[in-house]
Parts: sequence; structure tokens; C-alpha cells
Amino acid sequence: MKKFPISNILMPLLSSVVIFSIWYAAGSFIVQDRMNQGYEREEAESIRRIQIPYPVEIWQAIVDEKEDMITAAQNTFTAAITGFLTAVCLGYLIAMLLASSVKLKQAMYPWILILQMTPVVILAPIIVIWIGTGLQSITIITFLIGFFPIVANSTMGLVSTDKNLVDLFTVCNATRSQETILLRVPYSMPYFLTGMKIAGTLAPIGAISGDIFVGSSASGGAGLGFMTIVYNSNVKIPALFGTATIACLMGFIFVGAVNLIHWYALKNWHESVVNRNK
Amino acid sequence: MTQTIAKSFVSVRNLEKRFGDGPIVLDDINLEVKSGDFISLLGPSGCGKSTLLKALCGLLEITSGSINIDGMTPENAREIAFFIFQEPSLLPWLRVAGNVELPLKIQGASTENRKAKAEKMIELVGLSDAAKKFPWQLSGGMKMRVSIARALTTSPKLLMLDEPFGALDEMTRDRLNEDLLKIREVDPFTAFFVTHSVAEAVFLSSKIVILSANPGRVAEVIDVPFDFPRSAPLRESTEYLEILAKTTHALRAVEEQ
Repeated sequence: MKKFPISNILMPLLSSVVIFSIWYAAGSFIVQDRMNQGYEREEAESIRRIQIPYPVEIWQAIVDEKEDMITAAQNTFTAAITGFLTAVCLGYLIAMLLASSVKLKQAMYPWILILQMTPVVILAPIIVIWIGTGLQSITIITFLIGFFPIVANSTMGLVSTDKNLVDLFTVCNATRSQETILLRVPYSMPYFLTGMKIAGTLAPIGAISGDIFVGSSASGGAGLGFMTIVYNSNVKIPALFGTATIACLMGFIFVGAVNLIHWYALKNWHESVVNRNK
Repeated sequence: MTQTIAKSFVSVRNLEKRFGDGPIVLDDINLEVKSGDFISLLGPSGCGKSTLLKALCGLLEITSGSINIDGMTPENAREIAFFIFQEPSLLPWLRVAGNVELPLKIQGASTENRKAKAEKMIELVGLSDAAKKFPWQLSGGMKMRVSIARALTTSPKLLMLDEPFGALDEMTRDRLNEDLLKIREVDPFTAFFVTHSVAEAVFLSSKIVILSANPGRVAEVIDVPFDFPRSAPLRESTEYLEILAKTTHALRAVEEQ
């Protein structure tokens, strides 16, 4: 087995030191600058806290706002995962429909494109009119964002099945459903999983930006997007940074989970993940 | 005439094939094949060998004429026939055993039946040690063996082979030729074998059908009178070399047309 390269840890550590140094340097520059303008140190520090909060202060803000932030993160996560899973299931089913008939594909594909081409920001108010503000609407927005990559990729996989393998199934007298289940579906998996990776990256982003447009704090329904508006208008800047940190973590969790599924599903056979040295 | 019909296992009459409005690919093909025959189809590129093979399996529709396989149409004859493709055409997500079991699975055989039959076939092609491997872990020759094992699980009475060893080196090809004949002793089948190799055709066949190109027509049928089972030393006998020469001449005559 190959030794784990030490630079994998050392280099990120080094870059963190550099970035945090710049961070603190910029902060103390602001304080110094204000004091030169005649502000007291106390005042200068509170201005700095709004412009460049230090990591410890961000952490303190997360701890202080713990309850609100956990609820917001839970709400956003629920919307993201529900929208994402709906996009995955419905997207693949629609891909199977599209792949089953050329005429159906010709009829439906333009509408799927229209849905994809319309920016969600513009759709948001319409969704509010139809469904109202809150979690359901955010889920729908997340769904709309993740839906297209799944449909497009899976359809591609389903229709590009190796002609020889299709002939093999014909020679075996396979029924249509056998051909679908035993051949086309597994053949489309790498394509489908690529679509899922894209949708997985977009899901948390979709849920948060959706929350900004159609979110609501009614009955504890505020998500991370809504909280950014609240913190911003209350000038709770360290908390705003805290929200960004949590959103970033959530993104990592989503992408990590999807990558894990991708690896697990294909590890035995697909070029993209097979280890040929084993 | 009636006697020929009774004896023929596969009978091709006045077969004509063209793709769309294109030129005639196969013209007036007539073949009578007895049960147990091993027929090689030889001819220049583009003479329609593969097309004829695919038509025999119902993968391509013929323009006119008829194909009769043991009283059935090619489509219906798939019950008793199988096709070995140019490429191994294995499902990359299934292990060797899974690939070999596939035709039986599609037929709806029970799991135990499938496992037992597949195991036997994998042993027959000498891949018992590799049964749990995935296709990407196999060499080209091993993949082709899997493809052969898969074709034989359903015990076909008729086997179509579309240049299955074309991509392999000569040593591997010779070994597989010998093994194919050995397998045929255990599990007899009638074969249509498309190839570019004259040596391979002479070694394997009971009859060699030489096709000419543009359009594809039967130019000559050469009988290969050696008894089965055949083994490697046959390749060094004078009789073998004579037929090899005769076939090469016939093929050259067709190519020079």
C-alpha cells in the first residue's frame, strides 16, 4: 500500500496559517486606522467586529445563536434533502420515460428545457403565489434546481447502451422489462450518478437561496437563507459569518455523501473508480 | 429434393438482403446445412458474412427469400440458437459467473439450476479460478472464454460465431480453436463461423463457404473431410495443408474478381 503523503496535511495547514494571519492582520489594520482617526480602542474594535469578525468571534456567535442556528440548519437541510431526493427519484423515472420513446422525448424535452432555462429567482414569486412561503416552497425550488442534471444525464445513459449488449439481450429473447432492468438501468448508472453529483452540489445552495426568496419565520420555519437576512438587518455580522460556515459544512456533507454513493455503486466495475493496481 | 429438406437443419433459400435503397449486400444465397455441421464463412471484407450471420439469428431482417431453422423462423429459432459476438460483450458490472448465468436468468431458470450450469460451463472453458472476477480484471482471451461459456449455458443446438477470435494473438486463437472443438464433443452444436483466417476455418470446419463481394454470393463450398475430434497435430498433416492451399486459392480467386 502506498504511504499517505504527509504533504496532504502539511500544505493545507500551511495555507491556513497564511490565511488566518492575513485575516488577523487586516483586522488590526482596521483598528489601528480608526484609532489614528481619533476613535477610542473600544469603538475601533466594535467597528472592526462588523467589518472583519475574527474566527473566535464567529464561533462565539454560533454558540450564542445556537438554538436559532440549529433550527435554521435543520430546516434548510430538510428542504435540501427532500428536494434532492425527489429530484433524484422523479428525474430518473422521467429519464426512463424519455428513453422509452423517441416521440415522447421529442414532445417533453423542450418543456423540461424551458423549466431549466427559467431562472429560479423569477419562478420564486410564482411559487409563493401558488403554494405560499415556507418549507414546501423551498423544497420545490431545490427540486427544480436538481431535477434537470438528473434527467439529462440519466436519459443519455439509458439511450447510449452498447448496441452489442442490446443484440445480446435480443438473442436471449429477453422481454422489454428484462432488458430495462438487467441492462439499461445498470448501464445508465455512471451517467445517473454524475447527474446526482451535480444535483447534490446544487441542493444546499438551492435550499439556501430559495429560503432568501420564499422563506418565512412563521412557526419556526426559518432556514439559513432567512437567517442571513435577519442577521444582516440586525447587523449581527459575526452571526452572518457563522451562517456561512454552517452552510459551507452542509455543502461538504452533501457532496461527500453523494461522492460516497458514487464510489460505492461503481467501485467494482467502472473505469472512473476501479483501482487497476489491486 | 424432398430428401434434402428432411435432412437439412438450416436451410437458406434465395436470400437477398439490402439496407434500405442501398446496393444488394447478399444476393441469391442458398445453403443447406445438416445438423452437426461446422460451417465457416470466408470472404473479402464487405462480402456480407456478418450480415448473413445476423440474419440467421433474426437480428437483421432479410429483403427476400427464406431462412428455415429446424422448421422455425430465425426469431423463433432463438430458443435453440445463440450468438457469439466479435467483442466479448460482457456486462461490466457482473462477475464472470454472473455473466455466464445471464441467458439462463433471462430464461427464468431457478437460481440453483443457473449456478450449477454456469459453474460447469466456466470449468469447461477453464476459468474456474476466475469465476468471481470482474471483466476488467481479465485478459482478452479470458473474456472471449467467458463469452463462449455464456453462449453454451443454454445448450444451443445452433451457434453463430461472428469472428470471435479476430482480436486475439495467434497462440491464444489456436488454443481457443482447440478448446472450442473439445467443448463441441461434450455439447454438440451446429455452427456458423465467420472468420478472416483460412487456417482457423480449415481447422474447425466441416464445410467452408467462400463468399464473393459486391454483391455477396456463394462462390464455392469446400468440404473439409477430417473426422472430429480434431487436435493440434492435424495442423501439420499434408491433407490439412492441401485443403489450406485449396481454400487460400479459392479465396484469392474471389478477391481478384
